[in-house]
Amino acid sequence: MNAVIDQASLEQDIARLIIDTLNLEDLQPGDIPPDQPLFRDGLGLDSVDALELALALQKRYGIRVESDAKNAREHFATVANLAAYVASQQAPCAD
Amino acid sequence: MSGTRVQANHWATQKERGSFALMKLTAFAVRRLGRRTMQPVLHLVVLYFFVFGRARRNVRQYQAYLAEWSGRAELRPTTRRVFGQFMAFADSLLDRLDVWRGTLGAAQVSLHDPADVRGRLHRSLSGERGQILVCTHLGNLDVCRALAEMEEKVPLNVLVHNRHAAHFNRLQSEAGDRQLRLLQVSEVDAALMLDLSQRLDRGEWIAIAGDRIPLQDGRRVVVDFLGHRAAFAQGPWLMAGLLRCPVHLMCCLKIDGRYQIRLEPFLEAASWERGQREQAIAGWAQRYADRLAQLCLLAPWQWFNFYAYWQAESEGDADASPRRAAR
Repeated sequence: MNAVIDQASLEQDIARLIIDTLNLEDLQPGDIPPDQPLFRDGLGLDSVDALELALALQKRYGIRVESDAKNAREHFATVANLAAYVASQQAPCAD
Repeated sequence: MSGTRVQANHWATQKERGSFALMKLTAFAVRRLGRRTMQPVLHLVVLYFFVFGRARRNVRQYQAYLAEWSGRAELRPTTRRVFGQFMAFADSLLDRLDVWRGTLGAAQVSLHDPADVRGRLHRSLSGERGQILVCTHLGNLDVCRALAEMEEKVPLNVLVHNRHAAHFNRLQSEAGDRQLRLLQVSEVDAALMLDLSQRLDRGEWIAIAGDRIPLQDGRRVVVDFLGHRAAFAQGPWLMAGLLRCPVHLMCCLKIDGRYQIRLEPFLEAASWERGQREQAIAGWAQRYADRLAQLCLLAPWQWFNFYAYWQAESEGDADASPRRAAR
């Protein structure tokens, strides 16, 4: 029922986490649209930023980010992808 | 950069293999024959490497740079002094075996720890977060285990770059040493960082060498070491920043026949400003190289990095900013 709201608030939450973790003080969660690429041309993050972010996500949501390179790149592409990934990792506990 | 990559004598591919075989043989022989019998044998083996190996040139370069950087003429390389450094290595191999067999007693090891890093180790047994120890191949790292094992009981995770870790673990457990864990690290990835982060949270400590560069991982930074450009690993500093934990330096030097474990705080809060990561890491690596240079003066012949350590003169000159000894 409230899956849409959950997704949106999770995205908001993750955007805030990105800003806090990577010291992007001049940004607000609203400045990172869910579909904006996080790496290269988008927000301009690099591989070490991704590591830092993975650590923060793992701590915050109690999930384990597998380092399977291809999938990780996909999951970390945008805030929306990250939210979907976090939700899917948490799913077993939610029911 | 590419020059360092093509060097056939990268330590991770070559040196450890040689010394592993040598050590395995020595471990066997020492158990059978005893240290007194083995000593001359080992000296002969080292003499062989001295005469026929390529390491002699590298040791000579190290001694020349150290003498020049410190302005101490008595450190200038002579055949006798270069050989002395080889013999110091043979001696450290014998001592290593004593450590493995537990026959190197606490009485032969002293602790130089003015800032009480050891106290911090103890506190992590009662719930405080673990920290990072950056080690060096100046002196005898294995003796540091005398500290980790004999009394402290703090779980120590030793990160190693080379693929001989499994052999090494086996050899160690054959020698009766099961306390510490060797983790082979080929690259810094999310799974490893999470694992290490959880270990720190449990109060475990991490030890990693600061003076060797990994074979595959391109994360290295060129700094000034003994007045010349040398590549150092970014790994320890990157790790400290990601895991947000303090870093201490550890080494174990043999001074007047007795081992001295030296512990000192190095970095209290590892973090970087946005966009300043590279600069922060380069700054820490340079400060580490500076400190390492000073430590070399305490035990000049115990520098056991026998591979080509410095960049060739043609490399890395673009960003070269020659510096004098910082005092």
